[in-house]
Amino acid sequence: MSSHHPDKVTAERLAGLREGAHTPGRDDGPNLGDGSLVEDPAVRPPLVLSERTFGEVTQIVAGYAEDPAPKWWLIAITISSMVAAVGTGMILYLIITGVGVWGLNNQVDWAWDITNFVFWIGIGHAGTLISAILCLLKQKWRTAVNRSAEAMTIFAVICAGIFPGIHVGRVWFAWMLFPIPNSNGIWPNFRSPLLWDVFAVSTYATVSLLFWYMGMIPDVATLRDRADRRLRLGVSRPFVVALPGGRDVTLPLPKPDTLRAFIYGLMSIGWRFSSRHWHRYEAAYLVLAGISTPLVLSVHSIVSFDFATSILPGWHTTIFPPYFVAGAIFGGFAMVLFLLIPLRSLLPNFKDLLTIRHIENMAKIILVTGMMVGFAYSMEFFIAWYSSNIFEFEAFANNRVNPRVAPYWWAYWTMIGCNVLSPQVFWFRKVRQNPWAVWVVAIFVTVGMWFERFVIIVTSLHRAFLPGEWHMFYPTWVDILTFVGSCGIFLTLFLLFVKFLPVFAMAELKAVMPQADTHGHDDDHGEGH
Amino acid sequence: MSKLEQCPSTKDSDRTPELAASAGKTTGRRYWRSLDEVSETHEFKSFVEREFPAGASELLSDSRRDFVKLMGASVALAGAATLPGCRRPEHHIMPYSSSVPEEVIPGKALYYATAMPLPGGGAEGILAETHAGRPTKIEGNPLHPVNRGKSSIWSQASVLTLYDPDRLKHPEYNPSTGSKTATWDDFKAWGASHFAGFDATHGRGLAFLVDKKTSPTRDALRARILERWPEAAWHAYCPSESSAAAVGAQTAFGSPARVHYDLTKATRILSLDSNFTCEGPEALIHSRDFASTRRQRHAGDDMSRLYVLESCPSATGSVADHRIRMAPSQISAFAMALANTLGVGRFSVPAGAEIDSETVTQISADLHHAGAGAVVIAGPSQPAEIHALCHAINESLGSMGSVVTTSPMGADEARSSVDSIRDLAGAMTSGSVSTLVCIDTNPLFDAPTDLNFGNAFASLATTITWSVQASETAARSTWSLNGAHFLEAWGDVEAYDGTVSPVQPMIAPLYDPAMSDIELLAMIAGDEHPDGYGLVRQTWSARAGASVEDRAFDKLWRRALHDGVLAGSGSTRANARVNSGAIGASVATLSVASAPTEDSLEVVFSTGNIGDGRWANCGWLQELPDTASKVVWDNPAYVSPATAKALGVLPDHTWQDEFNPYTKQQMPQAKMATLTLGGRQLDLPVWIMPGMPDNTVVLRLGYGRTVCGHVGNQVGFNTYALRTAEAPASASAATLAKSSGTYTIASTQNHWTMGGRDTILRSIDKKWWDEHGGAAPKVATDHIYGGEGAPLNMAEQLGELNHTPRNIAIYDNPLNQSKEDAAPGSAFSKGPQWGMTIDTSTCSGCGVCTVACQSENSIPIVGKREVAKGREMQWIRVDRYFAGDDLNNPSGMMNQPVACVHCENAPCETVCPVNATVHGAEGTNDIAYNRCIGTRYCANNCPYKVRRFNFFEWGWNKYNGRFYGEELLGDAPISQKDLNKNLIPPRLRQKLDEIQRMQLNPDVTVRSRGVMEKCTYCIQRINEARQEVKVKNIWDRAQNTEKGPDYQAPIPDGFFQVACQQACPSDSIVFGDILDPNSKVSQWRDNQRSYMVLGYLDTRPRTSHLMRVDNPNETLLAHLDPDGYEARISHDPLSHGGGHGEEHGGENDDGHGDGHDDGHTETHGFFYDTNRSNDSGYALSLRVLGAATGVHV
Repeated sequence: MSSHHPDKVTAERLAGLREGAHTPGRDDGPNLGDGSLVEDPAVRPPLVLSERTFGEVTQIVAGYAEDPAPKWWLIAITISSMVAAVGTGMILYLIITGVGVWGLNNQVDWAWDITNFVFWIGIGHAGTLISAILCLLKQKWRTAVNRSAEAMTIFAVICAGIFPGIHVGRVWFAWMLFPIPNSNGIWPNFRSPLLWDVFAVSTYATVSLLFWYMGMIPDVATLRDRADRRLRLGVSRPFVVALPGGRDVTLPLPKPDTLRAFIYGLMSIGWRFSSRHWHRYEAAYLVLAGISTPLVLSVHSIVSFDFATSILPGWHTTIFPPYFVAGAIFGGFAMVLFLLIPLRSLLPNFKDLLTIRHIENMAKIILVTGMMVGFAYSMEFFIAWYSSNIFEFEAFANNRVNPRVAPYWWAYWTMIGCNVLSPQVFWFRKVRQNPWAVWVVAIFVTVGMWFERFVIIVTSLHRAFLPGEWHMFYPTWVDILTFVGSCGIFLTLFLLFVKFLPVFAMAELKAVMPQADTHGHDDDHGEGH
Repeated sequence: MSKLEQCPSTKDSDRTPELAASAGKTTGRRYWRSLDEVSETHEFKSFVEREFPAGASELLSDSRRDFVKLMGASVALAGAATLPGCRRPEHHIMPYSSSVPEEVIPGKALYYATAMPLPGGGAEGILAETHAGRPTKIEGNPLHPVNRGKSSIWSQASVLTLYDPDRLKHPEYNPSTGSKTATWDDFKAWGASHFAGFDATHGRGLAFLVDKKTSPTRDALRARILERWPEAAWHAYCPSESSAAAVGAQTAFGSPARVHYDLTKATRILSLDSNFTCEGPEALIHSRDFASTRRQRHAGDDMSRLYVLESCPSATGSVADHRIRMAPSQISAFAMALANTLGVGRFSVPAGAEIDSETVTQISADLHHAGAGAVVIAGPSQPAEIHALCHAINESLGSMGSVVTTSPMGADEARSSVDSIRDLAGAMTSGSVSTLVCIDTNPLFDAPTDLNFGNAFASLATTITWSVQASETAARSTWSLNGAHFLEAWGDVEAYDGTVSPVQPMIAPLYDPAMSDIELLAMIAGDEHPDGYGLVRQTWSARAGASVEDRAFDKLWRRALHDGVLAGSGSTRANARVNSGAIGASVATLSVASAPTEDSLEVVFSTGNIGDGRWANCGWLQELPDTASKVVWDNPAYVSPATAKALGVLPDHTWQDEFNPYTKQQMPQAKMATLTLGGRQLDLPVWIMPGMPDNTVVLRLGYGRTVCGHVGNQVGFNTYALRTAEAPASASAATLAKSSGTYTIASTQNHWTMGGRDTILRSIDKKWWDEHGGAAPKVATDHIYGGEGAPLNMAEQLGELNHTPRNIAIYDNPLNQSKEDAAPGSAFSKGPQWGMTIDTSTCSGCGVCTVACQSENSIPIVGKREVAKGREMQWIRVDRYFAGDDLNNPSGMMNQPVACVHCENAPCETVCPVNATVHGAEGTNDIAYNRCIGTRYCANNCPYKVRRFNFFEWGWNKYNGRFYGEELLGDAPISQKDLNKNLIPPRLRQKLDEIQRMQLNPDVTVRSRGVMEKCTYCIQRINEARQEVKVKNIWDRAQNTEKGPDYQAPIPDGFFQVACQQACPSDSIVFGDILDPNSKVSQWRDNQRSYMVLGYLDTRPRTSHLMRVDNPNETLLAHLDPDGYEARISHDPLSHGGGHGEEHGGENDDGHGDGHDDGHTETHGFFYDTNRSNDSGYALSLRVLGAATGVHV
């Protein structure tokens, strides 16, 4: 085999030994952003910029997963895994010592624990929404963000699952929540929304995981094949640890490509890119999208039942299911933006795949859902007044809104400011098209959504029906560090995903590129569609 | 069963003739386990054969499961045999009821009658519930005239002081110089020679300082001692005693007299700073009697009227119709003005007094009108002259002899405590005392500060202190002697009304050897082997004029042991003549301070839940919220909000609401201040108390102990440091200045008022109650859905149900558990269906229900820090609300006890994901602790917030002292700002484990951490009663076949009582079967005053509250509070104006006449009419009456 064998050339290029024929990324235009924005409504803007070829797209996505970890990534994962370790330590401390290490009391029996649960489960909504609902609605722009959004969903659901799991007084009996046949004949209480939660969240987690994983199989197979090709052609790098001073130490370990071929091989469960595989893949994808779509609506509805079916003023509200779903989408998209905007800058050439247009679309969704949430806030208030029930009205007026008497007024107004007011800047196109402005609003919305749950849970509980039993809630350092730790767990998982798995759905992305359209129209991308 | 070797106390029963007859024979009652056993069927015989030794063969033939079962049984037996609590006293004590078998049945409690001496004299008659020889719970003795089955917080908590692990455990010699452990034999040897040394001097130089109590045996020993050493000094001291009452009575009647008030006869009561329902030796009687005059069954029932002038909101003030805040000096002035108006005398009311003459006129007119039914009672803050003046007023009103009676009081008892200790201190300072014997007194902590008792004490050659609990005095005495608790020793005590009770041991001393006070005194008097049993019997036989060996005396003795009272020992009441001249003369000499100002504050010394400090190491009492302030584990200086603001010591607060200090810091912060009184200073936190007179400071005594144990050390501030012998009750001319720093205050209730939610605790004035109380229930038309809503009684018409549409379900309610609409054939249509009513009219908020519940249900205490976080565990709480808009001068204070209301439609049950909280067939809301995983969803959904979560392992396993946040406290020096180490939940401390565990009620599960708990309606008592009735039933069927095999007798009403109900001195809590139309609870539920708190939620509580009825003086109300008058008296609360009004009006007119007619034919004293000792309710839990009840086995 000569050294000019095309396969070898490719493999060397993949291994970084040979220069590729890359088109450099382009700078953003002054007025029309990066070129993904087209004023003419008849013109469908490109989804991938810089006229990338299929090969380039593969190289951008897969190459990143194969290259040595960049410095920012190493720093980020060091910090986030340390934070995650603190969170894990807090959880252990909690389980060993008792729920009393949190600031809860006999009046406010849920606080940060369930706030965090609802916060994370809400974040977990955007991914499946993008994957499933936008897929069914044939929104092609979703392909650039769906993989990472789905990954975010999985990790958020993991974080969400932690809190109800550890917040119970006797964690070691949490299995009693599951309908396990037993000799006592005791079943869970199927009337309890908390039990519905168990089913809803576990179903959602399972389906989301399947959806994410199944969608990833072709791309993982690509990574497998690339590693395999390098191995077969002998251009794989050894396991090298870079030391300061430019001296590298080669470790006597299997080559990373060997591991890649093995692990990605296992993960791609025999995917051979055959037409039959693609056919079944497409069908399964559609089926899972169909299954996921109602789940997007049901999970947060059921989470909202935890509150809506109770009799506590401030919880007992029929508007909760749609309001929670809107809020979840709202918060979920904010989190997607919060993660992807920095990623877009940090990962090389990713701006070609994740364009300003994506960001603008998501900003519009935030604007819409933010107003839905704002409407829900005002309706809650209106109904509390309209019902002329003093307990109901007090829960809103004097426990939340009125700074003169409501101790948690600051939490309520933080929520209003972040969730209702801050997205209003998205009425302006310039703001929508400025990634960093969008990023700031996304942070506001994320904070606001956490406070929304805090306001619902704590302000309703701390002053319930009988004033004789009113009590404040204050978080302890364990409360705070557990939440921070859950953020660490989330970020660690996401960073691992970003480094080792295909961050963009390459296969799907290629399908929406002009080259995929074999029926002509190859000049003007998508024109006439 | 009967052949088993049983309780050692009855083993040698042949010594007593009555028992000897039946010893060893089976002629007595026959006990059996089943009908099979009665008839001795073949199956039963073979069952017995298999169960016992032969059953060992089953190990080989049967399954592993059986092996485990047998093993379990063996282990349990082994455990029972080695129970640390199985320590029986050596002498005979009589089980409370003759019906109790001589053999102790494992698992069944035995009740013994005994009595608890009260500080300052008097006694409570109690029944101690003992399990396997260890007392676990105290009940009131129904045969005792003071208790009549009820009890105070102190007697309830006394069982915990028995198991106090910090008690003195052995004698110590010279503990102040190095704590040398000694033995009682050492002391005996030392004492014999030491005390013999006084024989030559006739006792000169020997002084005794004993706790003031009324005990015939101790009095006899005192006589013996003074006979041996005529010149020995004997002083009785009780720091919390109100000497003024005794001195006042002496002035008024010419000789020492105990004054008794029969409040059942009182129609108008004026309390001059007297908390008579909670304080004093006859508080239980007052509470019960007063409540009986307040209980409104029908419209038009008689009702007394109570005026309270007080310096600090108290339990009595909370049940008053008119509560007027006033500084003690002004109350004195008021009394003089009142006497003038009533024509008792012509006293010159001080010029500076802030007396509202119109108020005086109105009250005096009302009292005068009531005549012999009117009584004026002075409290401890009032000087002796005012006490005497009250007697004169009562005489002039005509109540002397009817409401007020007297009985003779001994000269010793009449001698003021303060005078006693002043004399002693004088003698000590002058060097005429060389040996001081302190018996159950702690003068180094609680002596008046101006006597410099500590210095004099230190200068004595020899000091001997006998004490049960660790004390400051014991720690600094030459000899510190460990005493036997009253539940461990023989003794006797005389109640305030003269009734003598035996004190009998329930258990051998935990820290053996220990001596009781009488044993020690007998030893000092010269007995070689003092024997409490013999001493008491000797005193009693002398009193009875018989010999100890006498059969008749033995019978009397055994009867007294059984009943807990010596029959016929109560004193006869005299109608003493009041010496008006002496009273007038003494009052004329009284100088009353002018009204306090910001620069010259008035200070009131009062006792709280831990009394004079002797109960400081009792966690239950430390964690029992103060009646009005709801503060626990502390004694801040209380001032009115206006005064706090004026003096700049208002607690930290938010910028919005200056009287809501709870929102700024994690835990409410009080400002530290320096209180200066008579040149003495004390730094302590200042807390606001609505309803206090301005420029007055209320201090609670007894806190700030330094040597009392892990619970009480360093809790609060030692206010004795400001209390002088000159002004032990109240003092004037104090100043208060803000100092630096803040201090954490833990309070169980963080809000003063109902915050506009006025329907939670409903109240109505007598006028409207009389007018509408007899009306037929109103059936409101449902304006929204049409049709008729449920009929609403009067109390319900005052609530939300009058305004909200009914909760109309589109489904039939499958539960249908209500009494009204129980579905035929449903589990809830059959009795018993348990329910409770709580009368907010009579509840004074004394808190005994809380302590009784804590004791019965083994509820842990959690410490100050956890309470501050809102994690108190008490199952029943008393919510306190101030009424009116002015927080500084609220128009009233109201109490509402709240425990789990056992909703039929329970919000907690539907949300529990694991079915851990479920409904019982008898309508109780039960928790299966071992199923609970602790999601706490139930607590969130509980509108009454009565569920309590075990955030840590409070109840059972210990952390060996480790707990969250410990490192924050550590061994750092205790500064005033820090939470000190002693506030760690005591149950977390390893050293408390073994002893304190003995107090736990074996019938109740100890809850682990992570588990929710709450009121169970004392399900263990329900179950015990059910078993009892069932056994009786089986017996009946066996005897009497006509009832048929399926006959199930109901549990009779009152057959048992739940713990809170049993303790409640005002009978505000009623429990029973709501399906039984004759039960008390069902009658009260049908009452017009009955309403469900938050009933509009359709939770259908089984506990209903009875609306409070006030009986204000309309003219006085119009004068004092014109706005309130407008709202309360001149506006019908049942008419809401507009179209509503007409509707109500019509119905009200109909009902008006009926109500009055009904009312007047009934007696008002619903409960009091029942002779408690004939109440079948005591058959089970108290075992009084044997077969006479017709139910009891």
